[in-house]
Amino acid sequence: MKKITRRALTVLMLAAAIIFGMSVFVLRYVDEGRDWALYFSRANAGAGGELRDRNGVVLAAVDATRSAFSDDAETRVACYHVTGDYWNRTGTGALSAYWGDMQEYELLSGTTKKEPKQFTLTVDASLCRAAWNAIGYNRRGAAMLMNYKTGEVLAMVSLPSVDPINGEAKVADTAFINRCLSATFPPGSIFKLVTAAAAIEDVPDLFSRQFLCEGEYTIGTVDIHCTGVHGYQSVEQALANSCNSAFAQIAVTTGYNSLYRHVRDYGFLDTLELDGLYSVPGNYRTEYAGNPELAWSGIGQSTDLITPFAMLRYVAAIANDGMLATPRLILSDEAPAETRLVAESTARKLKEMMSYTVAAHYDPQTNFPGLYGLCAKTGTAEVGGGTPHAWFTGFLDDAAHPYAFVVMIEHAGAGLTSAAPAAAAILRAAIAADGN
Amino acid sequence: MTWSKYALIALSLVIMLRCIRSMLSSGFEAETWATARFGRDSVPVTHWENLIGRARSADIRIDREDVERIQAVLRRRDDGRWTIYDVFSRGGVSVNGEPVTADGAEVESGAAVKVGGATLRLQDLGAARGSALDAQRTSAGKSVSPALTLFELTLFQLLLLFQHLVTAAGVHSLSITLGFAVLLLLEWFCYYAMRLIGRSGFEIETIAFYLTGLGLSVTASSAPQDMFKQTVLILLSFVLFLLLGLWLRDLRRTARTRLLVAALAVALLALNLATSDSLNGAKSWLSVAGFSFQPSELVKVAYIYVGAATLDRLYRRRNLLLFIVFSALCVGALALIGDFGSALVFFICFLVISFLRSGSIATVFLAVSGAAMAGFLAVSIKPYIARRFATWGHVWEDVYGAGYQQTRALGAAAGGGLFGKGAGGGWLTEIVAADTDMVFAVICEEQGLIIALCMVLAVLTLSFFAVRTARRARSAYYAIAACAAVSMLMAQMALNVFGSLDLLPFTGVTFPFVSRGGTSLLACWMMMAFIKGADTRRGGSFVVRPVAELFSAAGAERKAAPKGAGRKKGGRGA
Repeated sequence: MKKITRRALTVLMLAAAIIFGMSVFVLRYVDEGRDWALYFSRANAGAGGELRDRNGVVLAAVDATRSAFSDDAETRVACYHVTGDYWNRTGTGALSAYWGDMQEYELLSGTTKKEPKQFTLTVDASLCRAAWNAIGYNRRGAAMLMNYKTGEVLAMVSLPSVDPINGEAKVADTAFINRCLSATFPPGSIFKLVTAAAAIEDVPDLFSRQFLCEGEYTIGTVDIHCTGVHGYQSVEQALANSCNSAFAQIAVTTGYNSLYRHVRDYGFLDTLELDGLYSVPGNYRTEYAGNPELAWSGIGQSTDLITPFAMLRYVAAIANDGMLATPRLILSDEAPAETRLVAESTARKLKEMMSYTVAAHYDPQTNFPGLYGLCAKTGTAEVGGGTPHAWFTGFLDDAAHPYAFVVMIEHAGAGLTSAAPAAAAILRAAIAADGN
Repeated sequence: MTWSKYALIALSLVIMLRCIRSMLSSGFEAETWATARFGRDSVPVTHWENLIGRARSADIRIDREDVERIQAVLRRRDDGRWTIYDVFSRGGVSVNGEPVTADGAEVESGAAVKVGGATLRLQDLGAARGSALDAQRTSAGKSVSPALTLFELTLFQLLLLFQHLVTAAGVHSLSITLGFAVLLLLEWFCYYAMRLIGRSGFEIETIAFYLTGLGLSVTASSAPQDMFKQTVLILLSFVLFLLLGLWLRDLRRTARTRLLVAALAVALLALNLATSDSLNGAKSWLSVAGFSFQPSELVKVAYIYVGAATLDRLYRRRNLLLFIVFSALCVGALALIGDFGSALVFFICFLVISFLRSGSIATVFLAVSGAAMAGFLAVSIKPYIARRFATWGHVWEDVYGAGYQQTRALGAAAGGGLFGKGAGGGWLTEIVAADTDMVFAVICEEQGLIIALCMVLAVLTLSFFAVRTARRARSAYYAIAACAAVSMLMAQMALNVFGSLDLLPFTGVTFPFVSRGGTSLLACWMMMAFIKGADTRRGGSFVVRPVAELFSAAGAERKAAPKGAGRKKGGRGA
């Protein structure tokens, strides 16, 4: 027996290993515990509160023990990129932005919650659902709707989306990315609104000029193809025709410096804020001076990249005579803060041109019944092979329904046939909601 | 709520300290079964299995040149008769002139036993003397009152219940209350039943109940709808603990059924392997009549049951091969099933048992075959292992992927601080499998680091106790079984805790007693029976028959009747 029991002492080697391991853990715990704890503290350990939409619909709720979302699956999915989740899986949700700093850490007591918070958001869950359905669940894209008088964002959806109560196994590729804020896309023809603004301000005789379209425009060795042969056009007609030949010429005439300045001043290159959520900056490269690429960049191709949110701000400012009501996600009684984004005369002129574009080319009686005062622009952005991304952006020049919008659907083809109907559906839902 | 946190920690520390004091510091005198006399020397025989020889490690040491280092094994049977085996196999052992073979020969009290050049006379103590000597030993639980410790544990669990009632949804209040109530009743029933049969050693049960209570708390937090199931499992675990303990009382019966148990274990694993292929899902689960369980957990118990052996058998080499084959079958089957964690636990246990059983040259052989098994294991589930190893130490680089569980375990563990958020107050239980694979972090978050460390300390205390009590075990079988059981518990705990905290690759084995899930709990309680089997303190264990009872049974020289008496007493205890 002595032999056996002496050997039994080796069992204690296991115990020694465990004591050693626990010591390592405790040292690390003391050293790095704060980082570990606060990494998941974004409302996770019980910062109580509720996140509601503008009508009081609870989108997310946290109490001492549980965190929950809406009971309605469609609401959860449609609003996911607004709410985010408790695990900070999408970096841009309200839960991450507003509840992130609601905890403190101490070695003795771990994380402690601060006072519960109630947030009422400017979004309308029903409009988010409408936008989500308008794009279609099996497509990828983004849509935003904003009141350009108050700056309130009424809907922000990104597809594919996530049902936050599901595990990650069911999540589609790139679904955590909020395509409104956190992704940039080639803008295509909607960028002509920016080129036009630069030209309006920096080409003195713009409105007396005629731009010839022969189906393509050659600059240096590069041919820029157009969608048709538009002949001689005024700038208004060129925008309405979405004529690539004409806008390539306008871009070259306007010049790199002017274009870059306008792109920059309109915020397309900035990290833009939406009440604590931040967008990624767009791209407008600086080495275009004297380069054929300048022509391409003027029609929203080349390496131009923008976020849907940046475009929404821009069209919202145009709608509001150049004044941007600062976009908001948290509902507040305070008067909207306004800043001038676009010169007033430029904004008026652009509004006129966008209105003309709709009236002259988009057949509003058929395509947009009931949308009074629609001013808009389509975009069909080539994406290096494959079906182009479809864009539709603009606003209702209607004091009763002052809505600016942007819709982008990836690989959906022409803007007018795929993005525009989605935008129309969203606008109609918003108008219907106002009626209630 | 806040005061209850501090009270829980204080109670937890007091319970642990009392158990440690009771188990590791109180008197640990040996039992005396007979006296061995050779020449003028006389030594007490303190085990049922004794090595006789010249070596220092011999239990009955005869320091003469004409005695081999280890020449014979002297063994006492359950019925009180002594047998001597010649393990050196040179024919140097005889009883009353009759040569003894490896198959052994009976030794009557007073018979002349020749061991090498020495003559040894075994003098049985007799009922009166044996009982008198036994009465001088310190009885278990003398220095630290087990009733008071259990009372403290009761307070501890009532406070846990209180915390749950504050945080839990109203629907579950009743089931949570019932669960804790059943646990408390079981504890006190167990205590009084043990007292009734004259047992005062209650530390092992106290520690097991302490951990089981924390496990029940985890269930209440993570899956309150399963409280009823968990409660039933606790009852079932306890019944199996008692049954295995009572079964282990009879060493001969236990030793004889080893082969049968081995066959059953292999059959169970084979069944698991056969049916899991068709299921295609969680392979380590077996579903019988709607009740799913993990065969590997039950096989753990069988593994120890088969792996431990009596001293006389240890010195007959042919038994080792059987054990190696059995180990290879177990580990191989687990590797095929894909249960990497359990396979590793078995392998560690294999190393411990094989070292305890063999010692030197054989150990090398066993270790080599063990390494071969590990190699087979690694190859058979390579991508799986490779992925876990790649993540190891880098969990924060892939918080939403491979490091998902570990980072959340660390975050929640740190979030709890030293004092915790209170039962039901954590968020980690929302994560899938947190209540099994990351249960250390769940307790860390809800009860704080101190209580979580107490859980680890509880298992370590069992281990130290097992090693200590193994020295006094009657048979090598009990000593090996107890050490193997605590090795398995420690290996399991180390893989669970260190895996979830990124100190080892994540394996997903259970924390003994605390992880939710039935089969693991059953197995852990049955392990306790093995530890109880080695606890020979006076009144220490229901698995160990009292010295006095055995002497009187042997004295009556009737086998059946006293055995029946012993059973009757055990039966009352159950």
